[in-house]
Amino acid sequence: MNRYQFEDLISEYIENELSLSKRKEFETYLEENPDARGLVESIRTNMAQMKTIPKVIVSPDFNDRLLARIQSDHNRLDIPITSQRTIFGFTPVYASLMTGLVIAFVFVSMQLVSPADGGTPSQTQFYAEDSVPSLSNPPLQNVKNRTPDLADADADSSLENNKIKSKKDFSKQMHFVND
Amino acid sequence: MMKQNSFNLSEMSLDKQKAPFVYTDEQLIARFQAGDENAYIELVNRFRDRLINFVFQFLGDREQSEDVVQDTMLKLYMKKHYYREIAKFSTWIYTIARNLANTELRKRKRRKTTLLSQMTRDERDYDLPAIQPEIGQEVQSQFAEKRIQAAIHALPEHFKTVIILRDIQELSYDDISSIVNVPLGTVKSRINRARLQLQVDLKDLR
Repeated sequence: MNRYQFEDLISEYIENELSLSKRKEFETYLEENPDARGLVESIRTNMAQMKTIPKVIVSPDFNDRLLARIQSDHNRLDIPITSQRTIFGFTPVYASLMTGLVIAFVFVSMQLVSPADGGTPSQTQFYAEDSVPSLSNPPLQNVKNRTPDLADADADSSLENNKIKSKKDFSKQMHFVND
Repeated sequence: MMKQNSFNLSEMSLDKQKAPFVYTDEQLIARFQAGDENAYIELVNRFRDRLINFVFQFLGDREQSEDVVQDTMLKLYMKKHYYREIAKFSTWIYTIARNLANTELRKRKRRKTTLLSQMTRDERDYDLPAIQPEIGQEVQSQFAEKRIQAAIHALPEHFKTVIILRDIQELSYDDISSIVNVPLGTVKSRINRARLQLQVDLKDLR
């Protein structure tokens, strides 16, 4: 055990928290180093003296003063704030903001909701009533219907060329390894 | 809202007919949270002296320490629902007191800085009156106490808190770890270092 290890273990030794083997090692070090023994004793004395420091106690009127403070705090919280006028509990600024927001909300809602008496539909409604193109696969009927259209488009030379390219005979270019 | 005269602080015990400490701290705070203000009084009575001793070691001024303990108790009253039974009540209340004491120390440091900056050079150069040990057991013991307290005050903040909680308040390592919010190993190490530091500072006392 070196000096650093010894110093690290002083508190644990004094408070009996060392394992048996460590304790033996520690005590061997103490026997070999009288100054270390003095250090441990000195710390032990300090700890004992700290426990004898006279205790401070609160003054006899501690609880009365505490009660008075609690009550004054409650009274303070109970007093309504009359210095500032409020509208439904909101300050004028917040009340104005809230009113503006409510009006804006109502206006937007009116724009979105369709009129029940058959008036001119709004632009949004116009689009909403349109059939929305589906992003999913089209129904089979539609595919059948559309096939002739695609056949009509065969006249497109680029498509024709592509077909020819895809059917190109590569047999002449193929060579067997044994050839 | 608190009812007027709903509890009488001069009546100290929660239930004087029964044993004074029949409830644990955690049971008392639970009762207080449920609206039983007598439980609050019992908690105040249990912790006021422990807390003033704790805070006094930081501030070194009895009146200020009492004010801090009052603030702590007031906070307990106002913020009772903030306590959750995941930690011991003592840990919680010590943490509040410690934070308030630290705030007071910071205020004091600011005041001191201001006062010093306002002083003239002659006013700043002063010597603290030396405390001379006189003959007599009582005087010697008082002198030793003052020296120990001064040595504790002189410790760095993180050493001071743990040494006060361990060697004066006699709290467990686990509780100290929760109060100062550092791992157990760090607490043990800090306490050991603080004891070594105190031993150096108080070497000439013996």
